[in-house]
Amino acid sequence: MWRREAPHVRAALLRRWGHLDACDDAVQEAAEAAVTRWPVTGVPDDPRAWLVRVASRRLIDQLRADSARARRESLDAARRPDAAVDQTPTNRADDTLRLLFLCCHPALSRPSQVALTLRAVAGLRVEQIAAAHLVPARTMTQRLHRARTALRRAGARFTLPSPPELPARVAAVLDVCHLVFTEGYTRTSGTTLLDVELAEEAIRLTRQVHAALPDHHEATGALALMLLTHARSPARTDAAGDLVPLAEQDRTRWRHDLIDEGVTLLGQALPHGPVGRYQLQAAIAAVHAEAPTFPATDWRQISILYDMLSRVAPSPFVTLNQAVAVAMAHGPSLGLALLDPLLTDPAMLRHHRLHAVRAHLLERTGDPDAAAHYRRAAALTASLPEQRYLNRRLTGR
Amino acid sequence: MKYVIMIHSNPEPWGHPTADYLAAHQELPAEVRDRLHADFEQVMTELHANGELIGGEALGAPSAARLYRWRDGTPLVSDGPYSETKEHLAGFFLIDVEDPARAHAVAAKFAGPGETVELRPLMWPGGGDQ
Repeated sequence: MWRREAPHVRAALLRRWGHLDACDDAVQEAAEAAVTRWPVTGVPDDPRAWLVRVASRRLIDQLRADSARARRESLDAARRPDAAVDQTPTNRADDTLRLLFLCCHPALSRPSQVALTLRAVAGLRVEQIAAAHLVPARTMTQRLHRARTALRRAGARFTLPSPPELPARVAAVLDVCHLVFTEGYTRTSGTTLLDVELAEEAIRLTRQVHAALPDHHEATGALALMLLTHARSPARTDAAGDLVPLAEQDRTRWRHDLIDEGVTLLGQALPHGPVGRYQLQAAIAAVHAEAPTFPATDWRQISILYDMLSRVAPSPFVTLNQAVAVAMAHGPSLGLALLDPLLTDPAMLRHHRLHAVRAHLLERTGDPDAAAHYRRAAALTASLPEQRYLNRRLTGR
Repeated sequence: MKYVIMIHSNPEPWGHPTADYLAAHQELPAEVRDRLHADFEQVMTELHANGELIGGEALGAPSAARLYRWRDGTPLVSDGPYSETKEHLAGFFLIDVEDPARAHAVAAKFAGPGETVELRPLMWPGGGDQ
């Protein structure tokens, strides 16, 4: 009930008062009031109206009490203490989108955008967000506090961005959703039991973006990418909770319902062009999803898609993946040649994945230097499962 | 990503903040000492405000350590210090930052004369499947 109502209550308050930090506290207090009151009084006929009323009262109290906070609101509140908060039912998707724009405001760092989105849009508790990021709750509280202060200083409002700003703001929202997804996806090691599955939260958020912007093809692409990737989750860990690489996954365990949905979404988005990075990544995931086995994967198709991706959104990591695909399609030496430009990038030389990919391709050409690269990759990764995997390649155990 | 910042130092006598007991630090002109101190305070405030600081502790003297070595199937206990090196682990800070560049910038702020600052990444249980 609360998870469903919270965004509406928050949106109603934001439309009236504007400030996310104050509204968030008031909404939280209204929730706490509901938890103590409703079991006694019964759930009110219109729970949302009840919550909005209680939260508004708390907010006004808080604004009055807090003289340090912008004087305007205090005066406003004092002048019209019973001013009705706008409760007219508005487009729910539109409210969620405004809230996402606010949480993904350019004044915030990426980690702050992520934390605030999980708190304000997904409605997770601070403890859950902290647990998902493996940090103490007080650290996360601090991050959220900082983010809300930054929003207030930047004068961020609960409004839709202007048309010239819109593309960049939507891109930021999609990037935050995708970051939440990858955090969840790469963090699930099978042994860590979390209250909350971040990957599923990300899919839920992206579904909301897609619902609000059905004709935004990158939003559709981002949702398709997450569904197609998440489809592998039942096969990603073994009985001991260790990661299973894509090449060794039992594909019969993949979630075919998610694959079908992802492929259908992608089919709707792709014909419209120009094709953005999420659509291309989704297309790559779809090729994997449709391959009956790892060796039977259409690597030519994947290497073409990576080539397109390297033009649309070039990055050293795209080049790394492209090298893997090219090596699978056309042999390891062509893949190795693609890696050469990365060897002059000092940041990449400190990244384990460059050495891991190089080791793999060298091993396939029978080059004994492979061992040195496996050793370097294993030393540089901070991921325990990846380190175990790389050490296995190195020691043959 | 998480990192531990370890301060290897040899304050004489052992004490915290280590800079107060390091000759190399005390010999600096007062204005330089003040600047280093202010820089450190600033980075600590920043780490705290950003929610980047997870924790940190100052350690007791190396000579107060108890060492447990394995001999003939049982632990053999002796008194510290663990090593005869010039510097000892004096304290640590645990941080969670956006990227390595931020970790490098933070660690540099912990550096001071007569000490070595060691920045090490923490391992984590997750990973990708590709």
